[in-house]
Amino acid sequence: MIVLDNVSKSFDGGQSYALCDVSLTIEEGETFVLLGSSGSGKTTILRLISRLIEPTAGQITLDGRDLNDCGVIELRRNMGYVFQGIGLFPHMTVGQNVAIGLRLIGWPLPKREARARELLDLVGLESDAYFAHFPNELSGGQQQRVAVARALATDPDYLLMDEPFGALDALTRETLQKEVLRLKASLGKTIVFVTHDILEAFILGDRIGVCNKGRLDQVGTRRELLKTPKTDFVRALLARPLEQLETFQDLK
Amino acid sequence: MSALEHFLSVVEQNGSELWLRIGQHIMLTGVSTLAAIAIGIPLGIFAEKRAWAERPVLATVGILQTVPSLAMLALLLTLIGQIGAVPAIIALTLYALLPIVRNTVTGLRGIAPSIVEAARGVGMTPAQKLSLVEMPLALPVIVAGVRTAAVVGVGIATLSAFIGAGGLGQFINRGLALTNTDLILLGAIPSALLALAVDGSIAAFQWGIETRRRARDLPRIWTTRIATALPAFILVVGAIAYWSTSSGLPAAMQGSTRGGQETLRIGAKNFSESEVLGEMIAQLIEAKTDLRVDRRFGFGGTMIVHRALIEGEIDLYVEYTGTALTTIIGAKTITDPNRVLAYVRKVYAERFHLIWLKPFKINNTYALAVTSENARSRGWATISGLVADAGGLRAGFTPEFSQRPDGYPGLRKAYGLSFGQVFDLDAALMYRAVAGGEVDVVSAYATDGRIDAYNLILLEDDRHAFPPYFAAPVVREAILKAYPELRTVLAPLTDLLDDKTMRALNWQVYGEKKSPRTVAREFLRARISWLPATRLNDGHAFATGSSATRVRSAVSQRRRQ
Ligand SMILES: Nc1ncnc2c1ncn2[C@@H]1O[C@H](COP(=O)(O)OP(=O)(O)OP(=O)(O)O)[C@@H](O)[C@H]1O
Ligand SMILES: [Mg+2]
Repeated sequence: MIVLDNVSKSFDGGQSYALCDVSLTIEEGETFVLLGSSGSGKTTILRLISRLIEPTAGQITLDGRDLNDCGVIELRRNMGYVFQGIGLFPHMTVGQNVAIGLRLIGWPLPKREARARELLDLVGLESDAYFAHFPNELSGGQQQRVAVARALATDPDYLLMDEPFGALDALTRETLQKEVLRLKASLGKTIVFVTHDILEAFILGDRIGVCNKGRLDQVGTRRELLKTPKTDFVRALLARPLEQLETFQDLK
Repeated sequence: MSALEHFLSVVEQNGSELWLRIGQHIMLTGVSTLAAIAIGIPLGIFAEKRAWAERPVLATVGILQTVPSLAMLALLLTLIGQIGAVPAIIALTLYALLPIVRNTVTGLRGIAPSIVEAARGVGMTPAQKLSLVEMPLALPVIVAGVRTAAVVGVGIATLSAFIGAGGLGQFINRGLALTNTDLILLGAIPSALLALAVDGSIAAFQWGIETRRRARDLPRIWTTRIATALPAFILVVGAIAYWSTSSGLPAAMQGSTRGGQETLRIGAKNFSESEVLGEMIAQLIEAKTDLRVDRRFGFGGTMIVHRALIEGEIDLYVEYTGTALTTIIGAKTITDPNRVLAYVRKVYAERFHLIWLKPFKINNTYALAVTSENARSRGWATISGLVADAGGLRAGFTPEFSQRPDGYPGLRKAYGLSFGQVFDLDAALMYRAVAGGEVDVVSAYATDGRIDAYNLILLEDDRHAFPPYFAAPVVREAILKAYPELRTVLAPLTDLLDDKTMRALNWQVYGEKKSPRTVAREFLRARISWLPATRLNDGHAFATGSSATRVRSAVSQRRRQ
């Protein structure tokens, strides 16, 4: 369980806030989706949770323990992170990238490689073809899948996924979304998932948080958001895709 | 014979020494570059990680590199009180730091922030982040810095010869001293080739590390491996060259003062007279005693060779009384030759435990020179005799002579002499100018070989304005105690030499391009009747045949350091 308690973050010493007074509870085993427009603070929340940055004010706890009391290295090794910028290491092969977390905790090479192949196959990359390639020899979508495999490698309790499927075609994306659902069901992982895509949020999210200019406008299930939007922003955000859907209906 | 053939024959004649010098050169550059890598990379990492440290660190290594090389060598010499490879390597290391530190900082800084954040995000410790991500990504930039450092290092290492560290600079140094272009090229060409080889091998290394990321088939994996190993290969070759030649040298070359040594190390400064006199002493000792002689010629300055003597890196060299008085002791000029000698003897014995043996009758002081026709037609024989005509005369002086208190200024004071026009001229131009009538009088060194070659006459310094510069062997007290026979062995030289003879000998080196060794040998054999019959210390009779001579010079060449 991850709890953010009145958390604020400013990058410029208090002149402006990337995140302002956010309180949020992410339950054990839940898939929590962060939705919101660009620059609204979604990535900032993930970085705070993995302690890549420290909050300016407020407190974050993990299973009741203050985040500052958890060893930062242990904490991060127990959180698979799919970075928004993908963040693959350009000097390591695909195989080495996927296995990096295992290397850090001292797995022997053959075991690491076997596990990396398994994960590549899981995210739909033929491991034999891509194992020895370097990240810049892959397409953007392929790189995203490698990043997902890397986050899963150590079988962490938490997954932080920052727009992991942004560069994928609808079909591949659907496959991977299903995979996330399966992981959730079978392994009971706690997942924090950032997306712009409202349909993706509806498919994956047990609950959805809507970010708007550094504030959390509303947290709730998709039904609650649709039925009782708390702010105009939430209403407008959810209305768009429905309007688009109607446009398509007309074309039929 | 074409220029190339000629050069190849020079290479052939000096083959074994060339091999040694190349080995030393690689050793000097290699060790200093490795040291600079070992110091510079951690320093660069430190500077990059600690914001406050970056400016001071970069400023310090930057300033180090602006210190002129000779000043740096002289400074280190006084700081660590030792000549040879150690100060040379320290100096080269300090010079190599800047490109390595700067490129380390630049390389680390150039890594995309998202990659660094990913490294932290997957749970790397700071050390893992550095070794697994940052260093591999910064490596190409760092290697580029090492490449600059190593190539520049090969060039600067030629200066190491000034403080007795050997290397290819030894040839250049000797060549400059003897105005022998062959020797200069023998040092310069291999060092240029070496620089190219170092540059190429590190370039191959860069190519190798870059391509290894792409190489998936066996042939390419092997080419990249070989390319990556090239710099190490050069180092190994250098080490083999170095050890294979230097282990054959007398042990005294490595160590310094030891009691009961069998080898005497004779030094010389890097000009022909110093080397010719050093050779005469060396050859007399070889002929008359059982000692071996290790020639350590080509020291780049008075203070450097003096330090070498004090530190016991050499045992003996020829110094001039006037130089000792002004440059080393720092006393005011005295013009009475006997008082100068007595004074330097006393100070040397008390302060340095060094003994001045009996001076040769060579006074390499300043002098004024005119053409012999002018001397005859205008009746000039002394400097006093010139005073009346001086207002209408053109003088050509070296810049040094114009400035030094014991040069032109001293002359004006002593004689009330003032020339109509004074031109600053380079020494070589000066002699030609007076011979060609473009100036009437020039400054000269009394034993310069060019005086007789240009048919010049030296005017007598009848008021003793110029301080005396008599040449004499200076030897360490301990050595003289151990080998008192040195006094008698060297005594004959006192009567054999005078200014005119020395001028002739210097001309043989300067004008006829003979080696100091040959000049000294021919002179001694012509003047000392017992010399040819004497047994040589390496067991060969001193036969007259040219082949025996060649064997002998090859043997002593190997011993030369
Ligand atoms: N290191 C930083 N320094 C300064 N400002 C930052 C930094 N990181 C983020 N910000 C600012 O914080 C705000 C929130 O950024 P964040 O990355 O959380 O947005 P986001 O919701 O993830 O947007 P997107 O959907 O475009 O990824 C932005 O205005 C951004 O400019
Ligand atoms: Mg973001």
